[in-house]
Amino acid sequence: MAKHRGRGFATIEYPTGMNQNGDPSQAWIKLKPDGRVDVFSGTVDIGQGSKTVHTQIVADALGVPYDWVTMDNTNTDSSAVCTGTFASRGTFIGGNAVRLAAERVRERILDIASRELEIDAADLEINDGEVTAKGSPQKKINVADVAGAATYNYGELISGSSTALKPFADVNDETGQVEIEPHSAISYAACVADIEVDDETGEVVVLKMVQVYDVGRAINPTLVEGQIEGGAIMGLGLGLLENSYPEYPSVDNRGGEFGAYLGPSLQDLPELDNVILENPSVDGPFGAKAIGEMANNAQPPAIANAIHDAIGVWVTEMPATPERVLAAIQEQREPRREGKRVIFDDKISVRAFSSNDGAGFFNTDG
Amino acid sequence: MKAVGARLPRYDGVGHVTGRTQYVDDVRVGRVLWAKALRSPHDHAAITKLDTSKAESMKGVHAIITSADVPRNVYGHLEGLGVPGDEPLLADGEVRYKGQPIAVVAAESEEAAMAAVDAIEVAYEPRPALFDIRTALDPDAPQIHPWGNVYPHYGPYNHRRVRKGDVDAAFDKADFIVEGVYRPQAIEQMPMETQVALCVPEANGRLTIYSCTQAMYFSMGVVAAHLEVPLNKLKFIGGTVGGGFGGKVDTATDTICALLALKSRKAVKWRWTREEEFLVSSTRAAWHIELADAVTKDGWILGRRTLTLHDSGAYARFSPYGLTKHAFHHSGAYTIPNLHFDGFVAFTNRVPSTAMRGFGVTSVSFATETHLNRIASVIGVDPWELRLKNANRIGDTTGNGVALQDPSTVAVTLAAADRVGIELGAEYRQMDSEPRTGALLPEHLVAQQRLNAEAH
Repeated sequence: MAKHRGRGFATIEYPTGMNQNGDPSQAWIKLKPDGRVDVFSGTVDIGQGSKTVHTQIVADALGVPYDWVTMDNTNTDSSAVCTGTFASRGTFIGGNAVRLAAERVRERILDIASRELEIDAADLEINDGEVTAKGSPQKKINVADVAGAATYNYGELISGSSTALKPFADVNDETGQVEIEPHSAISYAACVADIEVDDETGEVVVLKMVQVYDVGRAINPTLVEGQIEGGAIMGLGLGLLENSYPEYPSVDNRGGEFGAYLGPSLQDLPELDNVILENPSVDGPFGAKAIGEMANNAQPPAIANAIHDAIGVWVTEMPATPERVLAAIQEQREPRREGKRVIFDDKISVRAFSSNDGAGFFNTDG
Repeated sequence: MKAVGARLPRYDGVGHVTGRTQYVDDVRVGRVLWAKALRSPHDHAAITKLDTSKAESMKGVHAIITSADVPRNVYGHLEGLGVPGDEPLLADGEVRYKGQPIAVVAAESEEAAMAAVDAIEVAYEPRPALFDIRTALDPDAPQIHPWGNVYPHYGPYNHRRVRKGDVDAAFDKADFIVEGVYRPQAIEQMPMETQVALCVPEANGRLTIYSCTQAMYFSMGVVAAHLEVPLNKLKFIGGTVGGGFGGKVDTATDTICALLALKSRKAVKWRWTREEEFLVSSTRAAWHIELADAVTKDGWILGRRTLTLHDSGAYARFSPYGLTKHAFHHSGAYTIPNLHFDGFVAFTNRVPSTAMRGFGVTSVSFATETHLNRIASVIGVDPWELRLKNANRIGDTTGNGVALQDPSTVAVTLAAADRVGIELGAEYRQMDSEPRTGALLPEHLVAQQRLNAEAH
């Protein structure tokens, strides 16, 4: 009886935006008479920090200080359409909506400033809330004064709106092929899990996870790390602990409370080492891709591979509970070989359970 | 200072950690009625009797709704994407999972509402139930829907297909065919905030709905469809959610509160208990994935055959969408030019599954990434090198034929190897994502490269 160390890893990819697209996010922005910025977006913040990220995008797209920007995503009367906070679309699609709206506001600010300064708009830039002439920074006007002039002299509400939308990608039902890209971007990640398996109890403990994420551009690295670490513990729950149906496929003995459902908690948290790569997306806001959902996808296979590394058995029914690990150790099952076929797991296959060899699922080409 | 790239504090963080953020359950609008549901105790049954009259006459009860009170009882969340509705808001004559709502009471307290639920007269005739998706198409399987036990609307097919390249030729040519079965489980989204909604009927005839939805406009569309009202009759207030993870994309409580508010003309709140959140809210789906990969002894993946079964539970909800996403990503972060994929959304008599973080792809990442290590162990190739060799590069095409513009399989894999001190051969250490040439453009990838060049 002993504890065995093992290491496993996995490399994954994950799309941004609804599969097949067609999922708009809209935003509109107005300036108060002192240049302060009101952003109206329908993007729900589910705790991931989209309000923060969108505020950062607007501040830089306009060239004003971050604390000038106020975000209102509170209701459907004042906010425009957002398809929703899912499909890892908040930063990319919601972010592009506020960025494009901010660019239109920026054009209006430059137009008014151009009239006030009597300098062509193309020769002006905005930084830290000031419009200056390129190459002659002494010629300048504060965005607050531009907004005041617009409101009280020119009779204009400086505002801008936009929609981020990629057209729906039809799929050929016979072949699954598409004509246009059915996503907004693809993000990539790798996870290395170091674990320890107790061959007497079957318990698996994750000691450390090294995780690398290419997010295109980390708009806010702290929030990206939050996603990486939150995703890590969620992926650990998937790999080792959680099960809505402990006797699946039976529906018996489900856990109806926290004490009866084995979710991960802080005691399960391994040492985490996070690496953020920035390989910019072609058309995301400031090069951003996404991270939200993929953050819990790489750990379960990394853990399964680490178990094999540690004790030489495969656990391919999730989660890798002590019972399953012990059963795998006991059975020491080898793959069946038929010519060049190497067949694992045939005892849990469709053909092993179906009364007619799974006829309805196979032979789909007639 | 540039804001993008800065470690700025969370916009709403102080409110969250000092208890000042207002979630739906914190909203106070004066007196409210409380909702409680009559739920099916059976996995599968006909409803032979449903009589709410005694319950309606009880003290403190203001309204009870059944399927007869819903203007449009069956509305599918994805009808806009061509997925027909199959799930009644309130059960109509039959129940297909334990916990399915049949009637909902609005009363002056949660206790009064629960007492009225208990007083509803209901009788059932149990039917055989189906739980194992592997047997869903067996001739003797219990039938869940009139159209059968799998979702039938992928164009003319009852399954989502991918057909790319020449899989038979790839399998003929392979040195090894490695086969495995992978079964990721169902889990709970487990948010701290349970499903909750508060609906206030306004003096001007509009309904204000305080919602924990992850998607205000989407949920507003769902409520409007069930109520058959235009969008300007509704105002959703939300945007701040106490955890969703995909479980608050489904519209669980908003529509019922709206119907009860209309019927009672009072504000109505429905706050699910922790037990309801665990036992009758949607879960992540369980999956069954059978993979067979055609590989060469030096570590090229020539082709893949896949059968995926997705346990949708009793109704389709978002599952047809999730399975398509799964199909589109079933070759993972690698280029595999010959693919044959069949995926089925199979119905069972369990709580409908739905979106959860990684929807459709978490399952296939587990299956394919574990499978790659099995391949490495069978053919005696290093698992890092196996991945780097087959890694997606610029111009490689996905399973559904899209040329990749900015893949990072090589970059993240090398960065991870470097971080943990894995020693790789020079030809691997120096890899990048540039288009394939030389030894990294073997015969089986030449045709893909040529087709890609012609298409662009």
